[in-house]
Amino acid sequence: MLKSFWENTVVKGRQDLLTALKANVLFQDLSNRDLRFVADIVHLREYRNGEIVFHQDEIGFGMYIIAHGVIDITASSHYSDAGGEMFVVRLEQGDFFGELALVEENGRRSANAKAATDTRLIGFFKPDLLDIIARRPAAGVKILLRLSEVLGRRMAETTGKMTQLNEEIQRLKGGFNP
Amino acid sequence: MTPAHGLRRERLVRIFTVILILAVCTLVILQVEDMLLSVILAFVINCLLAPFVNALERLGLSRTTAVGCIYLAVITVMGLGLWGLAPEIGRQAAAIQTEFPRYLKELHHLIGDLEKLPKTILAKTYKASTPADSPRILPALYNRLFQDLPGLMSSLLSAMLLAPLLAFFMLMDGRTAIKKLIAIVPNNLFETALHLQYQISAQISGFVRARLLESAIVGLIVLIGLLLVGQPYPFFLALFAGLTNLVPYVGPIIGAAPALLLGLINNSPGMDLLLVMAIYALAQVLDAALVVPLVVAKIVNLHAVIVIIVIIIGAQMGGILGMIISVPVASMIKLTGITIYRHLTGFRA
Repeated sequence: MLKSFWENTVVKGRQDLLTALKANVLFQDLSNRDLRFVADIVHLREYRNGEIVFHQDEIGFGMYIIAHGVIDITASSHYSDAGGEMFVVRLEQGDFFGELALVEENGRRSANAKAATDTRLIGFFKPDLLDIIARRPAAGVKILLRLSEVLGRRMAETTGKMTQLNEEIQRLKGGFNP
Repeated sequence: MTPAHGLRRERLVRIFTVILILAVCTLVILQVEDMLLSVILAFVINCLLAPFVNALERLGLSRTTAVGCIYLAVITVMGLGLWGLAPEIGRQAAAIQTEFPRYLKELHHLIGDLEKLPKTILAKTYKASTPADSPRILPALYNRLFQDLPGLMSSLLSAMLLAPLLAFFMLMDGRTAIKKLIAIVPNNLFETALHLQYQISAQISGFVRARLLESAIVGLIVLIGLLLVGQPYPFFLALFAGLTNLVPYVGPIIGAAPALLLGLINNSPGMDLLLVMAIYALAQVLDAALVVPLVVAKIVNLHAVIVIIVIIIGAQMGGILGMIISVPVASMIKLTGITIYRHLTGFRA
């Protein structure tokens, strides 16, 4: 019975964690040995349905990967009907969020994150990244390179959206012109 | 029970569990004999060796192998050092033991002479009175020192045996233990707790390393200087100067006192006394000009007045040990306070 518990819970849990990490873009370049090292460092957190992961404008220290469950990202808005909260995106297993906090100094969260079902998250924070850089610099550099890539892509996406919105504003302004 | 009630209950249980674990650990450290000293020593060893263990890990060694290699290297270096210096240290210790009663007698005369000084200068305006039991104070102190010595040595010995063992486990499993404790913290406080723990750990480790480096440099300068001028007992005086230098502000003065008293007792020429004092002053100047700005000041930014008050409180509560650990404890309290304040005010903007 003990062996079965060990295999079903501990070993499987560890295997799931390694698989989730390997599937994430930040850790995809790491060797199996480095992945095991990272797995010992990251934090597994359980959230109940409806529980807040973080609030907008809170100081954040790291990112979360969804190991199991669903997370709703919302932002406070003066124009939204739903109690000043605007739905942004629904994230599912394998997605990640909050990665900007890994490189910011006391940066504030730009949105709210809330568990939409019972959810299991893998937390990866700035002290964890610094620990990896101090003890396994090669692995740290690989993670940082991938992180830069993700942040660059997010910035390009944001710039694209802003351009699109600007064009939309100009078009609307043009439309209202007498 | 509604989900919100369930969540609130779970958070309370988690916070209570964390507080309970910390309280039990504190109680054990404070109540078990010699445990406080052992834990502090182990923490110091952990802070000193962690960078070397990390360096070996960077070369690809596992944590266990890295810790094992560092322990082996430290034992070898200490063994060789003791083997090389043992005859000289033994000779100096034997000389101190032989000369100690004479020094006490001379010190007694010296204090007597000092007491007579205000009487001669201020005879007409100030009536100074010497306590009737003053001739008995020094022998009483001497006896008490030798009565307390076996207990002190036994505490020190058990701490010296226990501390390396505790430090070994701190180096090996310290992170895992802290991670497991942080895992109990409720989700809404988890990020703050992790960040706070990281900041306190980095600040205190840096402080301990900086203070020990500072003390080692001061001790080394004093040792070289005393060896050059031919002052007796250079190893013990340098060791004392280095150890007392751990106590900010008052430590350096206490550290220089034995050399000055030895000079006065031995009726050394004024020039020799000045030279010895110049060595201690040089060590402090180099410390203040080079070491402190580079390593210490950046780490703990407590105002000098606060530091003095904290040292006095530390001395009242825990004697010499209290004085040494008071500043890091105060900086830890300050950091915790700032982070909690920021959490309450700015964290949830």
